[in-house]
Amino acid sequence: MDLVDQIKATNAYGCLECGKCTAVCPVSLFSQRYSPRSMLTKTIRNEFDSLYIDYDLWSCLTCRRCDAVCPANIDYSTLTQIVRSSAQDSGFHGKCSHAGAMELLQKTMTTKDLKQNRLDWVTNDLQIADTGEILYYVGCAPYFDVFFTDLDIATLDAAKSSVKILNKLGITPVLMSDERCCGHDLLWNGDVENFKMLAEKNIESVENTGAKTILFSCAECMSAFMNLYPEHGFKVKPKLMHMSQFLAEKLSNDELNLKESNTDITFQDPCRLGRHMGIYDEPRQVLKHNDGEHFHEMMQHDKKSLCCGVSAWMNCDITSKGIQKERLKQAKETGAEILAVACPKCHIHLTCTMKDKFVEDNYHMDIRDISTVVLERME
Amino acid sequence: MGTSDNTFRNFIRKHEKTVSFSDKPDIQYPIGIVEPSPCMEACPAGVNVKAYVSLIAAGKFHEALHVVRERNPLPGICGRVCTHPCETYCNRNQIDAPVAIRALKRFVADYELEHPIPKPQKTAGTREEKIAIIGSGPAGLTAAHDLAKSGFNVTIFEELSEPGGMLIAGIPSYRMPRDILKIEIDYIRNLGVKIITNKKISGKQDYNKLLKGYDAIYLAIGAHIGKKLGIPGEDDYEGFLDAVTFLREVNLGKPQKPGEKIIVIGGGNSAIDAARTALRLGSEVNIVYRRTRQEMPAEKEEINEAEKEGIKIHYLAAPAKIIGENNKVTGLECTKMKLGKPDESGRARPIAIKDSEFIIEADVIIPAISQEPDLSFLPKDHNIDISRWNTFTANENTMATNIPGIFAGGDAVTGPNTVIDAIAQGHVAAKSIERFINGEALEQTDSRTKPIETEIKIDLKNRPKTKRADIPMQKISERKNSFQEVEYGFDEATAIAEAQRCLRCGPCDECYICVSDCHKGLSVIHSKNGQDDYVLRLPPDFQSNNLADGNLHGILKSANGKDMPIELDSYIPVVKEELCRGCGDCVTVCEYDACQLIQKDGEIFVSQIDSDLCRGCGTCVTFCPSSAIQPSRYTSDWLSFKLKKIDPKKRNIVVFSCNWNGADFEKINTSKYKNINFIFIQTMCTGRIESTFILRALEEGADGILIVGCSADECHYEFGAKRFAETYAKVQQLAHMLGYDKYRIEYKTVSGKNTDKFVELVNNYTRKFK
Repeated sequence: MDLVDQIKATNAYGCLECGKCTAVCPVSLFSQRYSPRSMLTKTIRNEFDSLYIDYDLWSCLTCRRCDAVCPANIDYSTLTQIVRSSAQDSGFHGKCSHAGAMELLQKTMTTKDLKQNRLDWVTNDLQIADTGEILYYVGCAPYFDVFFTDLDIATLDAAKSSVKILNKLGITPVLMSDERCCGHDLLWNGDVENFKMLAEKNIESVENTGAKTILFSCAECMSAFMNLYPEHGFKVKPKLMHMSQFLAEKLSNDELNLKESNTDITFQDPCRLGRHMGIYDEPRQVLKHNDGEHFHEMMQHDKKSLCCGVSAWMNCDITSKGIQKERLKQAKETGAEILAVACPKCHIHLTCTMKDKFVEDNYHMDIRDISTVVLERME
Repeated sequence: MGTSDNTFRNFIRKHEKTVSFSDKPDIQYPIGIVEPSPCMEACPAGVNVKAYVSLIAAGKFHEALHVVRERNPLPGICGRVCTHPCETYCNRNQIDAPVAIRALKRFVADYELEHPIPKPQKTAGTREEKIAIIGSGPAGLTAAHDLAKSGFNVTIFEELSEPGGMLIAGIPSYRMPRDILKIEIDYIRNLGVKIITNKKISGKQDYNKLLKGYDAIYLAIGAHIGKKLGIPGEDDYEGFLDAVTFLREVNLGKPQKPGEKIIVIGGGNSAIDAARTALRLGSEVNIVYRRTRQEMPAEKEEINEAEKEGIKIHYLAAPAKIIGENNKVTGLECTKMKLGKPDESGRARPIAIKDSEFIIEADVIIPAISQEPDLSFLPKDHNIDISRWNTFTANENTMATNIPGIFAGGDAVTGPNTVIDAIAQGHVAAKSIERFINGEALEQTDSRTKPIETEIKIDLKNRPKTKRADIPMQKISERKNSFQEVEYGFDEATAIAEAQRCLRCGPCDECYICVSDCHKGLSVIHSKNGQDDYVLRLPPDFQSNNLADGNLHGILKSANGKDMPIELDSYIPVVKEELCRGCGDCVTVCEYDACQLIQKDGEIFVSQIDSDLCRGCGTCVTFCPSSAIQPSRYTSDWLSFKLKKIDPKKRNIVVFSCNWNGADFEKINTSKYKNINFIFIQTMCTGRIESTFILRALEEGADGILIVGCSADECHYEFGAKRFAETYAKVQQLAHMLGYDKYRIEYKTVSGKNTDKFVELVNNYTRKFK
């Protein structure tokens, strides 16, 4: 499909110029410059030369906040991905944060004969298997925790907690030692080629385990399997579940019981979990279980929730920080102590701003993955 | 150990479009011209004065001459007769006296005579188009030079017996030796320019032949007709000889004493030339000029010399009437003048004082008041616009006349003017002719010919006063009856000392040595587009092979033979404000306090790097989470091209080293490791080595990576090594997770400057791969 056809498929030419997208866009909220509407106008006017070198081509969080309100049903996020991809083909790249370290790691993982040691974190008390019906897809958390040592972050806690919960439920999950990056970030950055290589490898590895269900702590990984792989011609056979869905199911079946807790808690909807995959209720069912009065919604929640400010490691700038501060402020205003997250990216980005030396103390929250919260409340 | 083809190499391949390549597969660093210095701005021809002066200061005389020739094909000539506006605008004027720029130019031109370099190759004839140039003066020669360099077939038609125009017909040989003129014209001939002398274009037939036979015509005929005085008696007596005719006769015909007592009327260079020439032929010479010495347009040096030689100059005296007897001139009646208010030209208007007439005796009067072009060669219906001064009317930006394909320049357009202005117009005309033939728009912005007007702010206070070198001269007593050159050139020591007086106004010396001389892994270009310019202050006196491999810094071999480390201005990283998160990580890592957060608007803070405090280790770049701090060197592109040398058929060892620990790659006997391909990458400080540098090298196929830094307490930047230790710990874990064996990345430190230890470490590491 050529570029124009791809753009057509996003319905971009149906733009009514109502500006709702810009009105709700979190980036526009904090950046004087950025406007999805004007980016779209440039695109449908074929002003690619100027778009390719436009800083803001890489500013979109692809959080689908605009897509959700667009009266013309335009898929602006995909449109952005398409233009980025065409920019990359023409030799133009966005600026990845951390000197492109994440991009590099992701690309390295396309290497065929890679012998990763990515399961070193699995301690003896955790039961895991190479084959089986239930697969837990870890994601890149092991790499994140090393790379973000300075942030003193432990995104792997989500995986550790998840495996512990599964073990307690009598399940020995499959963890793949040859798991690769899901390719989510590469695709959204426009690198379709490498994304496809990762997708192929992951699907092959998953098939080799015989898994019927894949569980995810990372909303992005799940959205890759659920949406991006099929969209790019890869069939995903197993059932896909986010840990929050799995936990909600177990709770409603009474296979799992949670203690009451006196800790006030709020929840950050990851844009991939919510607007990309429509999963809003299950995390709330889990967090409210047996403890409804301690759960507090932030000012913006569910479909209107605010993104964590950075997507695919691009354009991590003052606008991102503005969004992150706003989100932390909203979380703080609920009076909650714990900010539950369901995606390691939310975890990292919000932590980064919280630990920023120039951000005041009143933004500090205890950020934990939903599985970690559940594990602590398990009887 | 090769990795899959599709990964990072693809990324690089895509990247190639955004960076330029030289023939060698190495990155080019663009260097931008930021502000021209006053001398360069003052030069009508745009000669890069500062560059050649600083090259002379560095003892690089051939290179200096090369810089001059880029914009001035007649260096030996201009080195003698240029009116040097560059010196007028030299910032040293405000301290003591301007740098003797003209004499320095002459010095490098003379230097080439004694130390010849190969003659230029023929360049004309690579294109089919033919261009006719009428006139072989500086305007014509310059255009011919430029056009021949562009490959055109150029023919110059010259009416006189020798080429050179006013240079040979007007300027006396005591100022401009004929052998110099010949050498410089031969230089242009070597490019393939044909010069036909004794060929006067005249009449319709000749003119039409030109129109038919050539793709473009450039009229550079000069101004060779002396103007009349317009005073009583001018047409009544014998004994008149206008200055241009007189000089032409002397220079190209038979030198003859014009008379016993002569009077030259006028105050320009031609007047002085005529007077000094007549003096040399044995006449007694008086000059009559109606204003004072201050207003005299001739060069001050020339006036001085004329007076020293014994020429009497009557200031504030205007010719009123020619006195004659028996049909012959016997004298000139003059009126004394006083100065009034300034006239149109800005000079004070001379006003006659009543009853102040006086007579100067003379048998020959030489008016040297002005000249105009001789347009008689043109057929009546030529249709070219002619101004009221009898000159060609040409667009000053393109030198195009109203007839397409016909261009004009030099004195034929401006009226009598300087050599350097004629050269400037020759350049413009050549550019326009090329554009005309290529079918392009004639008028285009050309930054080189039209410098941006900027005021360079340099601190002139507290600059020590220095003495301008005196130009050595022939003794007065030896000058009579001699046409030997009056001025002598500088010797090497004087030239270097004089060039070192240059204040080097502006950020870059623009000597382009970085372009031609840069060592090994890096070649440098001056960027043409305004974007992504790197400012490079590269002192021309560095010896490029002492530069650290691929770095824009290194060890400078200075003129006095001492080694000293140099750091270039470009080491200061640039903060891309749009990317800055204002997180302050840079503030934390930089222990020089060079990074600061400044308030932009409202709550927004951005990082700012204080160039006075920054020492260029690059650690802030490494630790900036949002990649907002962009390095001026050791960029990811630079690394990519270094890593392109990875050879999949061999075992590849990448050695990263700090610049300060004595690491010297040349000392490693790489030939003893047959199957090993070494890639040596030197950075300013290990603090600049990002985790991505190492991971990327692995990904690209490096079998082993050795990092040789300084021990933490000996880090030149005090904290870079400490920071790298953090990076290394991270990278080791990441690499382990990716499945790379531990031995593949090794980090070692060297204490002090210890080349032997460095060599030992590399050898030890390499043994693991045998």
